[in-house]
Amino acid sequence: MALSLREVEHAYAGRRVLAIPAFDLEPGKVAAVVGPNGSGKSTLLRVLACIEAPTRGTVLLEGLPLRTAAHRRRARLRITLVEQRPLLFGGTVRANLAYALALHGLRGDQAGNRIRDSLARLGVDPLAERDARSLSEGEIQKVAIARALALRPEVLLLDEPASAADPTSVGTLYRALEEERQRGAALCFASHQLEDAYRWSDRLLALTDGQASPVTPENLFRADLPAGSGTKTVRAGPLTIQVYTDKSGPGIVALPPDDILISTEPLHSSARNAFAGRIRKITEDGRGGVTLTVDVGVDLVARITHAALAELGLTVGAPVVLSIKTMAVRVF
Amino acid sequence: MDFFADGLRRGAALILSGDPEVLGITWFSLQVALAATVIACVVGIPLGFVAGTTRFWGRRAALTTINTLLAFPTVVVGLVIWGLLARRGPLGGLGLLYTWVAIVAAEVVLAVPIAAALTAAAVQAVDPRVRRTALTLGAGPWRTHWAVAREARYAVMSGVIVAFGRVLAEVGAAMIVGGNIRYQTRTLTTAVALATSQGDFSLAMALGLILLALALTVNLLLQLFQGRGA
Repeated sequence: MALSLREVEHAYAGRRVLAIPAFDLEPGKVAAVVGPNGSGKSTLLRVLACIEAPTRGTVLLEGLPLRTAAHRRRARLRITLVEQRPLLFGGTVRANLAYALALHGLRGDQAGNRIRDSLARLGVDPLAERDARSLSEGEIQKVAIARALALRPEVLLLDEPASAADPTSVGTLYRALEEERQRGAALCFASHQLEDAYRWSDRLLALTDGQASPVTPENLFRADLPAGSGTKTVRAGPLTIQVYTDKSGPGIVALPPDDILISTEPLHSSARNAFAGRIRKITEDGRGGVTLTVDVGVDLVARITHAALAELGLTVGAPVVLSIKTMAVRVF
Repeated sequence: MDFFADGLRRGAALILSGDPEVLGITWFSLQVALAATVIACVVGIPLGFVAGTTRFWGRRAALTTINTLLAFPTVVVGLVIWGLLARRGPLGGLGLLYTWVAIVAAEVVLAVPIAAALTAAAVQAVDPRVRRTALTLGAGPWRTHWAVAREARYAVMSGVIVAFGRVLAEVGAAMIVGGNIRYQTRTLTTAVALATSQGDFSLAMALGLILLALALTVNLLLQLFQGRGA
């Protein structure tokens, strides 16, 4: 195990924002962390990166607990994090990479080779002599990732690495990360793009309110639950959803993709929730089924079999109705 | 108006003629202000850096105290230093009252809070990502602090200039602890006060013009640094 968390809790000003009983990053594996904004993804990465000590619990590097500031400092020479809005220091792109390498004791030709190599891998080698402060957001992100790659970390953490990237550079980026995985690095990235998370990771951690979420992270909505118990109507983003719960106040409503029925016409059935929309995307779900992304005012994901897809004759752009029983809607 | 214009004209003539007393007072003032600023910065900048970047018990109280000291009345500082250095005071044996050392001491007391408060504000204004980025790249505590200090350097420099401006223009404390002794502890400001009260309007005007020119220079430098930091 490269890097592990055990019984970790983290709080800001007394408010708990993270509670993870166990989480492990392994060499040569990629973990993805997904969840809505404010779910604790960035905090988790900062704790893993040892730039914030958790309020409670232990971070372990190769099984050894990092208890003191000195332990964390030494660990940071083996772990690096690229933040969501990364910062480059004043000076050229090359100087930024050289600074990072100098902190690791690398100078001269050795550093020069690493700088060239890692900038090229992200396709930003023509920017080497540019003033870092003159770059676009997308360029800054790529240079920051190149700076992290140059350090050849044992653990590479990335917060929304593709958030400012155009579609062509997303491929370049994830291919570079794949090379890191093959080199034996343990990788972990946070993303709100579920597709990227599924496609590029071996394992998924879904976070809601700082905790591992009990359901797969698709179709999650923050909602204000009315008081009382039993059946309630809640507004979840642009959708009005009937749910059955005793909970009230702020909560999360989840529509499990496996429980959503797809039809070409509205169903006369017991399902109290029906959303009409058009298919935006049809992808393999990697488990022998098909994932449909349907725009019903917001993207909903549903999973069906190949047989069902063929039988209904569904194609991208086709109008469909998504139905789900009140009792199947999860509330937590 | 004639009186004023005449004073102005004769003041300017006094400067242009290279009057040794005027030059002497100016040089003395600059030396005292520079010495006080350097000492105040050596003490105040690290103090402000620590208060601005590290979390410790009583940090908020420390910052409030520093900010309150910014508005400390200069005559009170003069009074306290006078009390300490007076013959019957605890440091009276050193014989420093009415020397340049006493003026520097009083001005250091005035300038330390400026250097500290403006440094604290400067480092607090540094993008928090600077610290985090340095850490994620493997920087130790000293290099991380250095990265933050580097980002804040222009704003800190502005603080140094503000402190210099304050001690140069200060009159109350310099008068009380320096005694305004001719050829010894007479600064630009105390000399202006004396010349005015003695009715030597052209000398007061000459010194006033020099003070203004220095203040203008200080402000130009300030703008230069603030422009760089922006």
